[in-house]
Amino acid sequence: MAELLQLVITGITVGMVYALIALGFVLVWKSSGVANLALGQLVLISSWFSYAMLDPQEANLPVWLGLPLVVLFALVMGWVIERIILRPLIAQPILSLITVTLGVAFFLEGLVTFVWPKSEAPMPHLFPQESISIGTASVSYESLWTVIIALILFGLLSLYFKYHRMGIAMRATADDQLAVQACGVPVTRIFSGSWMLACVLAAIGGFLISSIGGGINPGLMETGLRAFSVVILGGLDSFLGAIVAGPLIGLAENIGGYYLTPLTWQGVKYVIPFIIIIIVMFVRPYGLFGEKRIERI
Amino acid sequence: MDLPAGTRNFSYAEDMAIFRTRTHWVLLVALLVVLFTAPLYLANYWLSVANLIGITIVAVTGLNLLTGYCGQLSIGHAGFIAVGAYTSAILNSRFGVPFPLALISAGVMSGLLGMVFGIPSLRVKGFYLAISTIAAQFIILWVIKHWTGMTGGFNGMSVPYMSIGNLTLRSEGNQFYLIMVVVVAVVFLAKNIARTRVGRAFIAIRDNDLAAEVMGINLFRYKLLAFFIGCFFAGIAGSLWAHWMRFIDADGFPFTSSILYIGMIIIGGLGTAVGPIFGAIFIRLLEERVLHLSGFTAGVAPMVFGAVIILFLIFEPRGLAHRWALFKSAYRLWPFSY
Repeated sequence: MAELLQLVITGITVGMVYALIALGFVLVWKSSGVANLALGQLVLISSWFSYAMLDPQEANLPVWLGLPLVVLFALVMGWVIERIILRPLIAQPILSLITVTLGVAFFLEGLVTFVWPKSEAPMPHLFPQESISIGTASVSYESLWTVIIALILFGLLSLYFKYHRMGIAMRATADDQLAVQACGVPVTRIFSGSWMLACVLAAIGGFLISSIGGGINPGLMETGLRAFSVVILGGLDSFLGAIVAGPLIGLAENIGGYYLTPLTWQGVKYVIPFIIIIIVMFVRPYGLFGEKRIERI
Repeated sequence: MDLPAGTRNFSYAEDMAIFRTRTHWVLLVALLVVLFTAPLYLANYWLSVANLIGITIVAVTGLNLLTGYCGQLSIGHAGFIAVGAYTSAILNSRFGVPFPLALISAGVMSGLLGMVFGIPSLRVKGFYLAISTIAAQFIILWVIKHWTGMTGGFNGMSVPYMSIGNLTLRSEGNQFYLIMVVVVAVVFLAKNIARTRVGRAFIAIRDNDLAAEVMGINLFRYKLLAFFIGCFFAGIAGSLWAHWMRFIDADGFPFTSSILYIGMIIIGGLGTAVGPIFGAIFIRLLEERVLHLSGFTAGVAPMVFGAVIILFLIFEPRGLAHRWALFKSAYRLWPFSY
């Protein structure tokens, strides 16, 4: 039982981060209908950037300066990607939109290896390394903070979508792009706004997961890919779905991984999200909370 | 069909002919002669590049049938190639199945697996399908990495030479002949699949699957058929790859090469017969040149590939095949281009 509690805690922590990354996807998908397959690479590159800003052997900036710079970097990256690459492709078929993000993924991956040729690096720790114990399990302050930061971000985002002009405009765009344009809302600005937000979420997610996961490594890219299972399980166009499905995937991954490894092979933990994707595709393609499209094909 | 001035079709057979005029036939024969005498004057290095290109053309032709003609996006093609490679290698080296039979079984095995992972395509499309094929790739690679008894796991496995009967193909030149025969056969087959009822059904599904079903096309059958054919070619390519490299491991089929295959059909031209050939040649030559010019600096090649895919999508979404068509009609109409 002790392991189970521990697994639940780890699962929820990791799942929260997945949910953050997945939210970035849902945001872009809802507002502009672009499927961003470069999630993993966005996570990877922003983790490396935060390493470069914060690590004692690199720029060694204090945290109060380093983290805002990371966020700024993510904002700029999101704006550049949307403005230069996706803007010319507005109203192209979905195939082009998916493939162009794959091109972005390829490019970013190359950029990361080019700028930081080593494949692994430690992530500076922001939070104390001690842990507190709940019953028989122990929770590190880091995972506690991760969950808290994720929850705060969820809260801020939902307030943003509820009350902020831009947030409301984003929801409206997701609902009916033509009507929004007719009301005089600059839709292209909504698109870049959603990409910038998505990049910030990916950056924060990447930072959190590499500081609880013990550093930056190429596996981060797959972390981003595993976040797709959150998107699929939660429903492609549902914020709530992403928030609920994140911890679910985290739990399935950790608990399933623990109990299935003796039955199968090592590393089953990391394919569970992909297996879930396939199962969801068969059973309930629109996800838990997604909008059910009635279309017989 | 673009025909030179004064050439008219008088029968259905003439209308449908791929090689219509005498010039076409002369060019075809010249191409085949050049192709099959290449080992006599090409250096070994260029032969190996040509072999790689040939294998890639086979794989990309399959992907083109699936994605370009039928519109079912698959981003797990490298996974299906891996299935083919391992099937053939295991059958050939562990069970002593002769190579030609192993080649076909590799194709069938990949095709069947592709059908299994293609089943979601009946209910989902576009992005959903892309994700489920990515998932397929990761699941396949995980199985390959950990089924150590069969696949050798992380250590990989060595594979015998290609052989037909008692003839073992050891040199690049000999392998070149076999690979090019397969390439010519596959390209010819793909071109003809695209022209038959099946191909027209694929195109109808791509353009509007609802309308296609109303017109009486059985979506279930044709989508799975597209997955089978696409992955069958992937399996053939995998088998050739395994016996040509003579060593395979799970890291040889990464997710990035799946993206690269998609890039190839985009660059070559989606849904055209010549597209995969142009795309494969373009990317593989670029790979060779870029790797050499950059002195094997890590990261440059992916950056170039990513940029090329993005630039093609923005500036020439119809790919090199479109440029080729423009060139052909310019040549045909010269000097009176209006």
